Amino acid sequence: MSEEKATLPPLAATIKKALPRAAYVPGLTKTDLDLRVAPAELLVLVQGLKDNPALDFDYLRNMTGIDMQENGLELKYHLYSFKHGHTVQITVATPPGESHLPTLTGLYAAANWHEREAAEMFGFVFDGHPDPRNLLLEEDLRIHPLLKAHPLQPIEVVQGIEDGKAGFDF
Amino acid sequence: MSIWPEERLSHADTEGFHTVDMTINVGPQHPATHGVFRMVLTVDGELVTACEPYIGYLHRGLEKLSEINDYRQAMAFWDRTDYLAGLLCEQAYCMAVEKLADIEVPERAEYIRVMLSELSRINSHFMFLGAFGADVGSFGTSFTYAWRERERIYDLLEEVAGDRMFPTYYRPGGVAMDLPENFEKRCREVLGHIFQGIDDLDGLLTGNEIFVERCRALSPLTTERAINLGVTGPVLRSTGLAWDLRKAEPYSIYPQVKFDIPVGLRGDVFDRYMVRLAEMYQSARIVEQCLEQIPGGHFLNPKLPRNLRIDDAEAYVRIEGTKGEYGVHAVAKGGNRPYRMKLRSPSFCNLSALSEMVVGHYVADAIIILGSLDIVLGEVDK
Amino acid sequence: MNGASPLPFGDVFFGWSWLDAIIRIVIVVLIMTVVVVYLTYGERKVVARIQQRLGPNRVGPWGLLQGFADAIKLLIKEDIRPRAADRWVFEFAPFLTFIPVLMVLAALPFARDWGVRNVTLGLLFVNAALGLNIVGIMMAGLGSGNKYALLGGVRAAAQMISYEIPLVISIICVAMVAGTLDLNAIAILQEDRPFLLLQPLAFVIFFTAMLSELHRAPFDIPVAESEIVGGYFVEYSGIRWSMFQLTEYASLWAFSIFGSVVFLGGWEFPMGSDWGWGWQLFLTFVKSLAWIIAVMWVRTTVPRLRIDQLMSFCWKVLLPMSLVQLLMNGFILVYDWPQELLTLTSGIGAAALVGFILYRTARHPSVAHLVGAYKRAGAQAQ
Repeated sequence: MSEEKATLPPLAATIKKALPRAAYVPGLTKTDLDLRVAPAELLVLVQGLKDNPALDFDYLRNMTGIDMQENGLELKYHLYSFKHGHTVQITVATPPGESHLPTLTGLYAAANWHEREAAEMFGFVFDGHPDPRNLLLEEDLRIHPLLKAHPLQPIEVVQGIEDGKAGFDF
Repeated sequence: MSIWPEERLSHADTEGFHTVDMTINVGPQHPATHGVFRMVLTVDGELVTACEPYIGYLHRGLEKLSEINDYRQAMAFWDRTDYLAGLLCEQAYCMAVEKLADIEVPERAEYIRVMLSELSRINSHFMFLGAFGADVGSFGTSFTYAWRERERIYDLLEEVAGDRMFPTYYRPGGVAMDLPENFEKRCREVLGHIFQGIDDLDGLLTGNEIFVERCRALSPLTTERAINLGVTGPVLRSTGLAWDLRKAEPYSIYPQVKFDIPVGLRGDVFDRYMVRLAEMYQSARIVEQCLEQIPGGHFLNPKLPRNLRIDDAEAYVRIEGTKGEYGVHAVAKGGNRPYRMKLRSPSFCNLSALSEMVVGHYVADAIIILGSLDIVLGEVDK
Repeated sequence: MNGASPLPFGDVFFGWSWLDAIIRIVIVVLIMTVVVVYLTYGERKVVARIQQRLGPNRVGPWGLLQGFADAIKLLIKEDIRPRAADRWVFEFAPFLTFIPVLMVLAALPFARDWGVRNVTLGLLFVNAALGLNIVGIMMAGLGSGNKYALLGGVRAAAQMISYEIPLVISIICVAMVAGTLDLNAIAILQEDRPFLLLQPLAFVIFFTAMLSELHRAPFDIPVAESEIVGGYFVEYSGIRWSMFQLTEYASLWAFSIFGSVVFLGGWEFPMGSDWGWGWQLFLTFVKSLAWIIAVMWVRTTVPRLRIDQLMSFCWKVLLPMSLVQLLMNGFILVYDWPQELLTLTSGIGAAALVGFILYRTARHPSVAHLVGAYKRAGAQAQ
């Protein structure tokens, strides 16, 4: 644990100092600092990150849903601060079957379409979202195509390249 | 003696008659939507009171397709996102894979990538200028002017990569093949034409009183609102914020070339147009510098594994696409296929600001505002 | 025959005036058809030239038969009537738009004493007939059961009624100078100098208002391709659509002959009466051709105005200027001041109008400076 702490970027210390009471687990991806929070803590943490002048995360860059199969769903937010120029990734894991998350549309107008997309692709439910309709898919489609288990999965396995064989030569 | 029955007349000033707002369906087939995009405008006479965009007509399941193909195969789909500047998308994808697998890219390959990507950016902006001129109503003249130059760039890309729109030329770890021998001469020739083409379009559009009058002070966006809406790229820079990922979070060899970030003054439609116009000069500048600086050496990392397998890793790679922040969030969990590839598409996020921007403007202006966002539907719909 | 006319038409064919009239009508309609066919071809060629394209070049030598191929295609196309359309209104609208143009053609002099009929009040008649055009357009807009068509029809109504006023006033100015409403007499009065020299302001106003009446860029908002996809004729196909096309080009032709008679001396200037009818027909041809090419040239290079800009340009610029011209003419003619004063005052007015537009263009910083400013702003922000 101490080793991992040492490799964290200085932003981790800044966040710790600015938001001493926030409950999160810091980590690191190949590019950014990662904060892992529980769904219940998400809104408080993001609110803190946005409002604290030392952090000032005013821009929601991206929102990525990931199907972790037996571990439920994960949603990753990327926040950026134009003032300080730093990026943070927030990971929220929801248990299987109850993928409820608070909406961020109150904080970031940009979250609107990102959340609609995540909802239709993975089946997240964003409580309080003003317009929870399908965005990219058909209006009445209720399957979530980006889940690992989906109606067309057998075909996918046939089409895909089996792990172990070589890819194409270049 | 009136031709109307008495009771009909008496209705006229009671609540029996009322006005309703009319909804107009613009798209999916409409000359001004630049692809298959649909928006439902609620209009009061000629004024737009509400706008509801509908997207997804071009949804091809890019992210799912990336998951079921291996790392190198999936790249071909990413060309098709921003199909006006396919090489920029390839660059983002390759950078994401390189980040995941810690692959080194030879410097020559970086230079080749930056050169071709900047040419693609010019190409995309030419498309914007042409299409935007047509939106404002110059009857396709701007379009053909822009197309003339785009054709030259496409020819050059074809000479280098073998394909015009979707070259699939980059590889994780470099590029597929080296530049042709006469590339420098041909590229300088094309650049000369590009400068001439920009000046021509500049004279045709910016030099026109009606064009300026249509665009000036139309739908201004403040920096704060733009950031909150997640708007990036030229639209954000037109509000006066000099934020360009090539400078803000430098990648590739951009620190080694000199260029400026053009910014707007008011954030209106005219500024968005002007920022793109000025950006084309900057891109051409970058290409010129790259031509001078390009080193020899490998064009592809020679120590690449035949089968690219990546263990647990996660990266969010972002580059400055033609429309804004083009991000690729890649997650690997072993195996030769990505576990998740997410596209953060700039057009998608810019388009989400549309309904707010067009309310209160004329129908004709709604078309121009949509045009000024410069969306590419392949990128919006993924 | 109107015996009171100062220039009675000779009955060149037979003594029977009704048969004579029918023959003349047939000749004019046949010529009109050929002219329209070649106007579509000519417009495509001119536009292609300006847009650096080739234009039609497949059907016949240099594509000369393209117009006939198009006509045949249109005639054998299916005539579709939408279910939501109001049947009779929808089906009669194209003919009602076309009839006024035919009426105008009946009153135009193509050479000395040669037209279908010499209407003594020709000037008034032509204006009255052209004003009728709008009935058919409104019918098409309302009867199509399409919202684009409705918008186009309503836009056309608003625009044509507004621009009718400066158009008519500018014609009245000429009528004041000429002292007659007879088109042949007006042409003869321009024996030594066209009225363009006496009334340049009226000419500028007439040309502008004419563009608007013809729905030509920059006043093509009723048919705006990139906004309402053709406007009032969006639902028409086949022969009914070709009626609208016929109307468009026939009225362009009619307007060009009318304008050249009123302002450019028609068949008379120079040496029309002395050199015979061949020279007169040639003059009519050359002048109307120049007029038409000017219209096409404007169309390809100028973007479209917005509806409020269009209206304010009419009511705040063109109408006051035309009233000023009327007033100046009145003073000069009543007090019998020399004719040079007409040229002078009207020239000053025209210079003021053109200067006003040029000033508004020049008010914006020059293009090169603007791009430079955007570059510098970006550099500072770094």
